[in-house]
Amino acid sequence: MNKAEMAYKPVEYSIRTVDLTMVYRSGRVEVPALYDVDLDVEKGEFVAIMGPSGCGKSTLLHLLGGLMQPTSGQILIDGTDIAQLGDAERTSVRRLKVGYVFQRFNLLPTLTAQGNIDLAKKIHGNGHLNPYKSEEIFEMLGLSDKIHFRPSELSGGEQQRVAIARALINHPAIILADEPTGSLDSRNSQQVLRVLQTLNERLKQTIVMITHDSEAASVASRIVEMRDGQIFKQASHLAYEPELEGLL
Amino acid sequence: MESMVVANMRSRPTRTFISVLAVAIGVILMLIIGGIVSGTLNDYLNRTMSVGADFILQPSGASIFYAFNNATLDGRIAQKLRETSGIGAVTPVLAMMNVSEFGLVFGIDLESYNQFPGRLQIVSGTASLKGDDVIVDELYARVHKLRPGSHLTFKDHDFTVSGICKPGAVVRVFAPLATLQDLNGTPGKATIMFIKVAPGAERSEVESRLRGTYAGYGLTSTQDETLLLADTKMPGLKEFQVVVIVVSMLLSFMVVLVAMYTTIFERTREIGILKSLGASRGFIVAMILKETVIISGLGVLFGIVVSELARKAIIHAFPTLQVSMTWPEVLTACVLGLLGGALGALYPAYKAARMDPVRALTYE
Repeated sequence: MNKAEMAYKPVEYSIRTVDLTMVYRSGRVEVPALYDVDLDVEKGEFVAIMGPSGCGKSTLLHLLGGLMQPTSGQILIDGTDIAQLGDAERTSVRRLKVGYVFQRFNLLPTLTAQGNIDLAKKIHGNGHLNPYKSEEIFEMLGLSDKIHFRPSELSGGEQQRVAIARALINHPAIILADEPTGSLDSRNSQQVLRVLQTLNERLKQTIVMITHDSEAASVASRIVEMRDGQIFKQASHLAYEPELEGLL
Repeated sequence: MESMVVANMRSRPTRTFISVLAVAIGVILMLIIGGIVSGTLNDYLNRTMSVGADFILQPSGASIFYAFNNATLDGRIAQKLRETSGIGAVTPVLAMMNVSEFGLVFGIDLESYNQFPGRLQIVSGTASLKGDDVIVDELYARVHKLRPGSHLTFKDHDFTVSGICKPGAVVRVFAPLATLQDLNGTPGKATIMFIKVAPGAERSEVESRLRGTYAGYGLTSTQDETLLLADTKMPGLKEFQVVVIVVSMLLSFMVVLVAMYTTIFERTREIGILKSLGASRGFIVAMILKETVIISGLGVLFGIVVSELARKAIIHAFPTLQVSMTWPEVLTACVLGLLGGALGALYPAYKAARMDPVRALTYE
């Protein structure tokens, strides 16, 4: 099957990238970040992306979330090529289909946990269609007694769980997690990974998670390893054996 | 979003307070300076009307604001006017500016002046205006602690208070016409003539007759609405009011611009977070504008309250000064205060909306 046929194949993937290339430009200097990346993520799949610093993992995640436009190639999100869309349309796709979880939690410091969740609902605009209420999500994430706390009053693990609740509140089809355990100790890391795994199993949400941690990656159903802006190898987590030095 | 806007304001109380204060100062400037100008002018015009004259005769091109005019009107015209058919009363007046108090003093012939409905009503002392006599109104007497027999110096000339009249007359200080003519160096001259139509005479006929006979003079009918709009004719007044409004708006505009511009840089990462959550440019612009509208609204409210208190304090401290604060003036100040703030927030809002989300998310 050639690439053109793949691009028009009936949608069965949550995410597909075709020849995805990203080159950063700074004046006359061009810094390549991704070359011809072809990545398929099935609906409901949990994919971990690993690789050394500078290999293009974060760039890939930002492109998948429509936070930037690629130099060339396609990014199909539920069949819509967001690489062809303008800023407003990409924002709309992100709002409706994507939930982000960041390494540094990125909660708004002036708002309480509940305020952060409400803001996400407000931005989404269709919060009333969500099958889950904030209370249920807080319950599921063990945050029921923390909803009136501000981020500065929460532990790192609690903040990350609030960030996950925020990503989850609008029931996005895809959750993009950028090193969600990168700022956590091992106990909190385990807690957050369990939450992500549960979400994937119970809510059937597609999760793409960047991580440096092979133990974290082991909760995913598939591990994709990147190197120098390209996919170096990929395998199910059971079959995956890291080969790169300095990967961890 | 409302809670986020309020949370942002509460998290930066100093910035919020300074912004509110700047908008309030703009509103206070508009209301107090504008109020003093319009209050004084309106008071002056009302007093002019209170004389009860039907016409005011002046040299051609002279302003209704007598202080701007020289006494160039020949006093003998008064007698000629009295002989004109249909005219019941005429009184010549010489208006002089008391620069030290920024108030007018009228030199009048008391006998002819008192033929008008707005005649001086003496409440103490005597109705005498000869030589160095002076009559002041009750308010002026109270402020300057004067009573019949007290001395008053004007133009280096010593006057004696002969009587105190009720307030509401065209000016607060009246001196003999001849004395002021001498002091002014214009014997036999007057600034204006108040003219009253005789009972039973047709006003319009008298007016046409006067306009025909005194074509080279300025004749203002007190029924003429343009007299009431005379503040628009005062030289430089409109420009002054525009300058006050522009300065006030600029103050709100610039402080809000700087405050919001600084804020969006402080909040770069937060804006990145909002974008990662799918916030549209419109959402971000609306968020910043809402915050500005709340800040400006608080500033306007604060400004109105302080202006009202200041107005009362000014009137208490300077009873002869009039500070008007009408609903249209308050409404104008509200609109301009909000507009100045909103305009100041537009550029920061535009910058925030166009921020690159990836750069914003990695901003330290």
